[in-house]
Amino acid sequence: MSTTLKSEPELVWRGDDVKMNDVLEALSKVRYEFARAEAGDSEHAHPRNCVMTLVAIAAGETEERRAHRTCRLIGTQHPAQAIVIREDAGQRGKRVDAWITTDVHRPAMACAIECEVVTLHVPGAVADHVDAIVDPLLVSGVPTYLWWMGTPPFGRHELMRALRVCDALVFDSARFEEPYHAFQGLARLTTVAHRRLGLADLQWSRLRAWRESIAQFFTPADRRAFLHGISEVGIDYAGRGRGNRIATAFILGWMASALGWKLQRAVAGVGGVVVAHYVGGGRIIEVQLRSVPKDHLASGEVAAVRIGGTWQGSTFRLSVLRDPDRPPGGDEAIYRTRHPSGGDDEAGVELAERRAEWHRDVLHENLDSLHHTATGDQPGESRPKHPVVFTRERRSRDTTQVFLTMIEIGDTAPLRHVQQIEPADEAALLLDLLATGTHDAVFNRSLLSAFELMRTL
Amino acid sequence: MKVEEAPNPLAEGLHDYRVADPAVMVIFGATGDLSGRKLLPALYNLARQRSLPAGFAVVGAAMDDVTDEAFRKHASEKIHEFSRTQPIDSRVLDAFLSAVFYVKVEFSRQQDFRVLVQKLQELDNARHIPGNRIFYCATPPPTYQLIAQQLQAAGLHTGSGFHRIVVEKPFGSDLASARELTQTLQKVFPEDSVYRIDHYLGKETVQNVLAFRFANSIFEPVWNANLIDSVQITVAEDIGIEQRGAYYERAGALRDIVQNHGLQLVTLTAMEPPLAFEANAVRDEKVKVLRSIRPLEGDEIERSTVRAQYTKGWVVGEQVPGYREEHDVAPDSHTETFAALRLYIDNWRWAGVPFYIRAGKRLPKRVTEIRVQFKRPPHLTFGREAMQEVDPNAITLRIQPEEGISLKFGAKVPSAGLRIRSVTMDFQYMTSFLVDAPEAYERLLLDCMIGDPTLFTRADEVEAAWRLIDPIEESWRNDMPPLGSYPAGAWGSSEAAALLQADGREWHRP
Repeated sequence: MSTTLKSEPELVWRGDDVKMNDVLEALSKVRYEFARAEAGDSEHAHPRNCVMTLVAIAAGETEERRAHRTCRLIGTQHPAQAIVIREDAGQRGKRVDAWITTDVHRPAMACAIECEVVTLHVPGAVADHVDAIVDPLLVSGVPTYLWWMGTPPFGRHELMRALRVCDALVFDSARFEEPYHAFQGLARLTTVAHRRLGLADLQWSRLRAWRESIAQFFTPADRRAFLHGISEVGIDYAGRGRGNRIATAFILGWMASALGWKLQRAVAGVGGVVVAHYVGGGRIIEVQLRSVPKDHLASGEVAAVRIGGTWQGSTFRLSVLRDPDRPPGGDEAIYRTRHPSGGDDEAGVELAERRAEWHRDVLHENLDSLHHTATGDQPGESRPKHPVVFTRERRSRDTTQVFLTMIEIGDTAPLRHVQQIEPADEAALLLDLLATGTHDAVFNRSLLSAFELMRTL
Repeated sequence: MKVEEAPNPLAEGLHDYRVADPAVMVIFGATGDLSGRKLLPALYNLARQRSLPAGFAVVGAAMDDVTDEAFRKHASEKIHEFSRTQPIDSRVLDAFLSAVFYVKVEFSRQQDFRVLVQKLQELDNARHIPGNRIFYCATPPPTYQLIAQQLQAAGLHTGSGFHRIVVEKPFGSDLASARELTQTLQKVFPEDSVYRIDHYLGKETVQNVLAFRFANSIFEPVWNANLIDSVQITVAEDIGIEQRGAYYERAGALRDIVQNHGLQLVTLTAMEPPLAFEANAVRDEKVKVLRSIRPLEGDEIERSTVRAQYTKGWVVGEQVPGYREEHDVAPDSHTETFAALRLYIDNWRWAGVPFYIRAGKRLPKRVTEIRVQFKRPPHLTFGREAMQEVDPNAITLRIQPEEGISLKFGAKVPSAGLRIRSVTMDFQYMTSFLVDAPEAYERLLLDCMIGDPTLFTRADEVEAAWRLIDPIEESWRNDMPPLGSYPAGAWGSSEAAALLQADGREWHRP
């Protein structure tokens, strides 16, 4: 099955200043003609295959283009009908312009399927009534996802009306315009939305790889008990300010709500540093959120998670680093102090520095005797050379996303585990939601726990 | 509940989260064909999907005298050639290969197994592996016994962590040899640590038979002798025996396909709903079906079975030689390349419903399907003339190719009169889930690592299947019924058609 798209979909109908009935009639005609053309002389027409209706609300031309591209990509994996509604804010009156474009997919061993994208340009007054626009267009019997591409108008009537005809609201909290306030609105929505409404956050989906990597460490039976010994959590993120801490708050909320931790206090300091204390199982868990310069990450993205603790005398430390071989931000060339046996990426450097520190201690303790052995000079006669090698690193950029997990248990050498994370564009994330559903109790509880932290700061 | 037995709370809500505990997989016969074509590419793809845990390692064990580096190079080449996903992600591959090692093992040399023990202990320490081991026998079945014994002698069958052994089909060539194999393996490993792999069960569409039946409430009420007339199972291949003449001469279609794939499809079609999709619940129900199949004995074998051999003919537009002209086949061979059976399941649900199975080589096309034929309506409301072009309802579960499900039913022809015609309502995987299904080995290897034997064959299942097949084999050796023939490219012999005609039915043309 090819998942490539033609550069442009086929425009099969266009109407200016139309009624919704005109759109419906055109859509029926498009489908009928496709079925008749595909049926051939003697065959029956194949039934339409459709697994959902996706309604995308776009605020401008850029979002409209993104919506089109994503809807078309989804069509390459699942037959779907998509409706893209773009509000022309400056437009007065009730004029609606509409287009229908189609992509036909021909799997190697199955009948052709057609995916339609209905695009509507509506003035503000009409856009406030999304439910009235899309209801007649919805495909019966399959779920309807309302994808609000910018910031949903939390707390306003037009959103609540739109949600009445939808099974799920899809949004991306990483794209919220005023992240902190929008996050508050989102948390409130969970308490007032109708019960069958699903909430799906694309940012939460992007955090899945982090959740998996962290969960993996505690999955082996002999490490399960470590969950009760966690004493510190550190999360690095890109960007500064409270609005960029949503992803970190989600990870923390997820852990806290899964492990029964209660927030005791949280303080935000300068430079994007946050220190929080949770209590769980009679223990204090200290959390540090830290802003780090990472040029290749968007503001708010998570750069690293570190979890450490002790259980029955054994220490453990899990570090998950994103793109460890990329340099931190800043224009200056990067120089690092490395131990010669260090790795070739950031984690390697971290390890090497730790080893070097240990070696320095050992060397310091034995400085004189070692120097004597090496040079033949009497102790105190000459100064030993610095034992650490300086190397210069200048790394090239690339676009792949890599997770490096480092596991340290007890005194054994750290175990490194590299995982490649598939690029997750909006289409991939939406498809994942389609497969998993949008009624995610873990998301809901993590959201509330994250909100509790955000509210405190 | 002990802490270590409690579910991981951090894994909750992670859809499709299937990650095994860190383990070492030892592949015996690691430089061989199965390892190169299937196992190493499947493991690479599991790494790509992030399903392999940190610390997981592979140790290739074979007779070739090669280094870790040379084996990694070999693995890399095979992965590049046979991986389902392309292009190869070099970063994933490098990370995967860094956990691949090699130990030269001659299965008869105890010393080699001691070296293996040492290597595994090293890996345990370096990679935080709590002694978990999977021993995969990608070797011919006669070696299984020796490998198991050497593992026992080296103490590799016991200790901390889990110790599992994976063996490939065929699981014996008759009931006696299957029992012997079971006893040999069970002397070393408990039954729940023995994973008999039949990659057929790892196919998505085979599993979907269960999803179709037990995830939908509308089919189960009609899935019984009250409404079902008969069931036809077809496992057809258009290819011949290729380079497997020596093996096929000993096996034949009955042992090669019917004993395993054919009967597996019967069990999935006929089983009662299991309590859960859980290993013993599913396999218990499958074994019940096998035990309920009326054994064929004496004259019944002549009446209810057909065997035939292909002669030269045309398949898929090409002229092909007859079976006896194939490489490594005796010129007077009596091995069947086509088998057809009529079986009855003597239980409440299926009493009186014939299950017809046919399997063969050099049939017109490659297709595997289960066709459930329903009875005709008890009364022709619209009259005989209006209904003359209507076939009885049928549900066809297509396993391969064009995986999907179709329901055949009658509909009114748009016209002034009242005429009914059969139409189909088709579900095709490709048009609803336009994504590649994982390779069967990926699913099964991960199941084995996780310790889920649901899709592996249990000893009693193997034995129950051989118990049905052995009397047929014995009768066929005595030329009862006589060996028929069919030209390559035909749907079997005329006797196969007669088998159904005698019941007033005919084979469905897939």
